[in-house]
Amino acid sequence: MPNPTVTVVGSYPRPPKEGGVFTLRKTLQALDRGEATLDDLEQAQDELVREVVTEQANAGVELVTDGQVRWMDGQTRFAKGLDGFRIGGLIRYFDNNTYYRQPEVIGEVKREEPVVVDEYRFAAAASPVEVKPVITGPYTLAVLSQDEHYRDQRALVRDLAVALNGEARDLAAAGATVIAFDEPALARVPGMPEPKPAVLQEAAALLVEGVEATTILQTYFGEVTLGEALFDLPFDGFGLDLIAGPANEVLAKAVPDGKVLQAGIVNARNTRVEELDAVVARIRLLSEAVPPERLWVSPSAGLEYLPREAAERKLVRLAEAAKEVRS
Amino acid sequence: MTIEGLLTTSVGSMPKPDYLLKARSQFARGEISREELHGLEEQATREWIEFQDEIGIDIVVDGEMYRGDMVAYFAEELEGFTEGGLVRSYGNRFYRKPVVTGEIVRNDPITLEWWKFAQSLTDRPVKGMLTGPYTICDWSFNEYYDTREDLVMALAKVVRQEALDLVDAGAKYIQIDEPAVSTRMDELDLAIKALGVVTDGLEAHTITHICYGDFHKAYPKMLDLPVDQLDLELANSDFALLEDFKRAPFTKAIGLGVVDSHSHEIESVDDVAEGIRRAMELIPPDRIYPDPDCGLKTRTVEEAKDKLRVVVEAAKQVRAEG
Repeated sequence: MPNPTVTVVGSYPRPPKEGGVFTLRKTLQALDRGEATLDDLEQAQDELVREVVTEQANAGVELVTDGQVRWMDGQTRFAKGLDGFRIGGLIRYFDNNTYYRQPEVIGEVKREEPVVVDEYRFAAAASPVEVKPVITGPYTLAVLSQDEHYRDQRALVRDLAVALNGEARDLAAAGATVIAFDEPALARVPGMPEPKPAVLQEAAALLVEGVEATTILQTYFGEVTLGEALFDLPFDGFGLDLIAGPANEVLAKAVPDGKVLQAGIVNARNTRVEELDAVVARIRLLSEAVPPERLWVSPSAGLEYLPREAAERKLVRLAEAAKEVRS
Repeated sequence: MTIEGLLTTSVGSMPKPDYLLKARSQFARGEISREELHGLEEQATREWIEFQDEIGIDIVVDGEMYRGDMVAYFAEELEGFTEGGLVRSYGNRFYRKPVVTGEIVRNDPITLEWWKFAQSLTDRPVKGMLTGPYTICDWSFNEYYDTREDLVMALAKVVRQEALDLVDAGAKYIQIDEPAVSTRMDELDLAIKALGVVTDGLEAHTITHICYGDFHKAYPKMLDLPVDQLDLELANSDFALLEDFKRAPFTKAIGLGVVDSHSHEIESVDDVAEGIRRAMELIPPDRIYPDPDCGLKTRTVEEAKDKLRVVVEAAKQVRAEG
């Protein structure tokens, strides 16, 4: 892949551009009325994945995701796929005006079968460029769930790490060369509990053990409180949100040799498009500290907080800036 | 002797009857005119006012039959906003998030005509219902103002103008909803400053409704919000907040959420009465306004009515114990 590499964090808007047909929503409504089948829904989701990977690639993204457009949200996708959970009521997702159904841990967490491996296979086959599967990380899943079984966050995160390790191994076996573990709960976000990175530090080795792929620890929504100890975690790369956590800039420049920095440098939560010069300058500044072959650039978080047009514009801007830096 | 106080009210929104939901989608598809829709919105408003009169709610709301989203409604009426695209709210639910693309200006009153219409239908006081500057900012994209503070303060000015118009027209109660305040406690001071602009010298009983938050952390700091009354959800946490009031006295009037707005289950009158009594151990009844936890628009019409009946019956029961 060209350096610095243009990538994304995870989610992508599901609605079409203004005036387009929102087939996914129409199909879900028809399903509610008994006028569509689950096969119809899967077809609508497949079609949207094709659209989303192509749109990202056309915008200039070199390592895309499937946009997580099949998921209810990042928590329920895994809570439903693993043993030991049931799904509870709606609750706010970090400091966004976005909500998710809170998973409740009611038994031992185990993985009986793959969760997102088939989705990955589909996206990889549909995409003109490489696809990065995303796993919601064990610490974030634990923080965003209500634990009625373990009553011990360390024990819950350990079992989650083991279960998700199985998923990561299967994704690598299915061909994924890069796997992101999303851990926004590691960032300090207003209204959220103070991060306890020690819990992840204990479980991280279990999470990545034997995973034959480049592993990325992806944070967003705020400043990572761990300081340079972050880089002692056994991942191959680290994603930092430099928009919501300006203080992460210092950390970004300290990424050690051999590790990838994924720098979130365009705002994924506001429609205002950054000036090209400003994005270029930011990449150049980061390039002084991190050599281009280890520097990836992305939006600051998943793009689903934006309308579809705005998300695409952000990616185009990011790719333009990367191209200019390369030349 | 009966107890004075315990005036019952509700948080603002009511569910739209089926005929109005249908009309709204017909209007969106261009199948009926704005006038036809407006007529049905008036009919639904009339029905909700009649219902509140009938069951004896003390402070009435118009039910917001003519509003969709509580932020988008104001954004549509203010200069400086552009209609935004769809973003996800949860699952596969989406809403249009407004975009600030210019200076915020209020050219005409926004809610005034609806307030006057509602008040003409009842002798009971009708609350003026506004969305607060902090929440409008937090739930919009900002492409124009340099900082969030600049946008919040610009919005405070126009919400203030609307509040003044309502008071001039005779509104005795003005509620300025700030559900987003609980999202970012680090910006509570900004929300306080902005709300201060709205309520400064306003000759009305001022209220703000806050929800979905970790109140334990925000209390007692939230008592600094410059309003006469805080409207809070207590039912959905089994009145846990009362423990915080023991730690630091609750110095304002309280909108006491006594039924859960997000559950289908109808609470019993006895349980709700018990909740009111527990609050009365800490706050005198003339400063307690029993109501649902939150707006009722996500309930069915029948569920909403049943829940409101329970609030009124429970308050009546406790008052009679004087």
